[in-house]
Amino acid sequence: MDKNYDRNWKQEQEWRDSVDRTIKRFPERKDTFTTSSNIEVDRLYYSRDKNAEKLGFPGQYPFTRGIQPTMYRSRFWTMRQYAGFGSAKETNKRFRYLLEQGQTGLSVAFDLPTQIGYDSDDDMAEGEVGKVGVAIDSLQDMEQLLDQIPLDQVSTSMTINAPASVLLCMYIAVGEKQGVPMEKLTGTIQNDILKEYIARGTYIFPPKPSMRLITNIFEYCAEHVPKFNTISISGYHIREAGSTAVQEVAFTIANGMAYVDAALESGLDIDAFAPRLAFFFNAHNNFFEEVAKFRAARRIWARIMKEHYEAKNPKSWKLRFHTQTGGSTLTAQQPDNNIVRVTLQALAAVMGGTQSLHTNSRDEALALPTEESARIALRTQQIIAHESGVADTVDPFGGSYYVEELTDRIETEVEDYLERIQVIGGAVQAVEEGFMQREIHQNAYETQKRIEANEEIIVGLNQFQLDEEVNPDLLKVDEKLEQEQKQSIKDLKQKREHQAVQEKLEALRKASLQGETNLIPFILDAVKAYATIGEICNVLRNEFGEYTGM
Amino acid sequence: MGKIRVLIAKPGLDGHDRGALVISQALRDHGMEVIYTGLRQTPAQIAQAAVQEDVDVIGLSSLSGAHKSLFPKVIDALAERNASDIPVVGGGVIPGEDIPFLLEKGIKKVFTSGSSTEALASYIKQLIDPKEKKLESPTKIAHIGIAVNNIDEVLSFYTDSLGLKVEGVEEVSSEGVKVAFLKIGESRIELLEPIEETSAIKRFLDRKGEGIHHIALEVDELEERLSRLKSEGIPLINEEPKTGAHNSQVAFLHPKAANGVLFELCQHQENRGAE
Repeated sequence: MDKNYDRNWKQEQEWRDSVDRTIKRFPERKDTFTTSSNIEVDRLYYSRDKNAEKLGFPGQYPFTRGIQPTMYRSRFWTMRQYAGFGSAKETNKRFRYLLEQGQTGLSVAFDLPTQIGYDSDDDMAEGEVGKVGVAIDSLQDMEQLLDQIPLDQVSTSMTINAPASVLLCMYIAVGEKQGVPMEKLTGTIQNDILKEYIARGTYIFPPKPSMRLITNIFEYCAEHVPKFNTISISGYHIREAGSTAVQEVAFTIANGMAYVDAALESGLDIDAFAPRLAFFFNAHNNFFEEVAKFRAARRIWARIMKEHYEAKNPKSWKLRFHTQTGGSTLTAQQPDNNIVRVTLQALAAVMGGTQSLHTNSRDEALALPTEESARIALRTQQIIAHESGVADTVDPFGGSYYVEELTDRIETEVEDYLERIQVIGGAVQAVEEGFMQREIHQNAYETQKRIEANEEIIVGLNQFQLDEEVNPDLLKVDEKLEQEQKQSIKDLKQKREHQAVQEKLEALRKASLQGETNLIPFILDAVKAYATIGEICNVLRNEFGEYTGM
Repeated sequence: MGKIRVLIAKPGLDGHDRGALVISQALRDHGMEVIYTGLRQTPAQIAQAAVQEDVDVIGLSSLSGAHKSLFPKVIDALAERNASDIPVVGGGVIPGEDIPFLLEKGIKKVFTSGSSTEALASYIKQLIDPKEKKLESPTKIAHIGIAVNNIDEVLSFYTDSLGLKVEGVEEVSSEGVKVAFLKIGESRIELLEPIEETSAIKRFLDRKGEGIHHIALEVDELEERLSRLKSEGIPLINEEPKTGAHNSQVAFLHPKAANGVLFELCQHQENRGAE
């Protein structure tokens, strides 16, 4: 008991010191936090028992209670709504609207042709242009997308994977035009190809060259774009595809380890890139399990980074993550009920210590969100932040018998999975063999059967239905857009310097043949010459081949 | 007839195939042969696969909003291959207002978010196997059931005041009730009196008092009809027919199925074919 007490006292002192340092840089939102009854709210509630070491204080290894010493007492999570549809110009308008409404970061949704490296005038793009996100064909579209948005002040998250290098280069090029050097750019590219093979489907190249592009980005950014998150290792889509919470964490961390292995193999130092690894999780309805899931994920990653990879920089140990509420939990029936689901899920993410959050809109089981729906979704976060008081103390569920037990159990079950994946030969091998895909699909099917047997109640779907559904107003993407986008590529190809484009593409092709060469500078050159995303990706398709699924 | 062959296809670039995979497996569990194309199929590839695999039906899934442009192209591609006889159904994230357009373009039916795999499976079975379609609509009201505390006390109103004729009084011990039938045209009024504390009629009287209890519809093919209703997700009290008064076969639907009205389906001897 005394020994624990002494050790805890030392931990506590370290935490208090770190709080002092943090507050100097990020003062707390208020001098004192109180409840409505004027009861003062402490920064942290804790006990000096044997659990204290396992949990760690906030900002302290293994970060069960959060990655910062004061968490939301200093700064709320970043409210980051994923948006994008139609043309760059329209999306730019929505971005500026969201920033005016108090959103603190941008998050770009790209249409499927962009995500799979096709120009809008490619045959494969037919019917898909501008549908699930904004169509970006060249630097010209990116300039319109980011028009009048100061890239030195706004951090931008881009949901882009297979052609992440191309979009990152476009972002760098726009920054340069705005006079913002790339060292100052902040944001995130998703860049997580493994989960595309597992769950999301927007792959282009086979796993090996894809992993090369990813490590090329790690290396380039470590040197030139140090504030950019080079990857967002995503459990989100794994969960949407039907996994359990445990599988979500397990497969995401397994993928994370595969990226670390690939980067180490290419000769990078762990502490050079690990601090820029970010994560992206889902928040579903089982409230306490979700809270525990985030806490467990932090602890597992910290241990893996410190003990398995022997990273020295504490920043390398911290699992920083973005959360999006669960799209697949939304119902097309009685869509306003989704506002309540989203609120619960968002609350779980905040209780789990998320760094940034996207709240889904009520109408997303039907179409892309309307402006009104997107505003309610943002307001939901603002109400949680400013009205509920849940952000006034750090990790309020810490020490709850239930939540701590769930955290431990999730941790154990995730470790079992990690062992199984290791036996298979790591995440890349497991993906190629379809192990994760099978596990997820099995659970998706079981879930569907439970819902149809009414063993799992979905309000409005299999219980409490309405006889007549109200048809809400939905967002429509203008069908003319595809034609306009095609025309704009045609115009661009007329006015750009043809010779320069061909030279840059040829240089990229040659570089791609040399496994040791970092491709990012070549892609950046091509982008600046206004080569299109399709042209750049086709060069790489020809050299790398295409992945055709299982 | 052999196994129903189904092609499940993902047109366009959309990578969300949770639904397509779940449906594939559910249809397999219903005894169908399912071919899943995988992601990113062009309309031409889908039509080609359907012809080559000689499928009976095609299911298209799209969650990206491209359905209005891609689904009709699949219909066109089938026509080009003289395969317009293969019915096409669709599903995914599809706004209700787009459905009439898709139906007009030749899609047979659209199953949106929240549809059950059971409903899809039974729809496909009916679509493909015409024998399954034969169920006739109910032709008449067999009787209206009225719950009463005591038949003897009320019978004179029906016989003397209304002038109806009693067909018979019998006890149905399996239900714990005594019933009296009064003929009215081609239908009957059924008076129900509880004879056991545990009978459903007793519970009804305790809760709601005397009054109309249920409406019975005369049907044929009761067994088949029940399994059809069940597969469509209609809540049933009796999933199997049981013996009712006059040696009929009866089954009750759950009142949830019809805004609180209790329906009984009953099939009398003469409707059960040659016996």
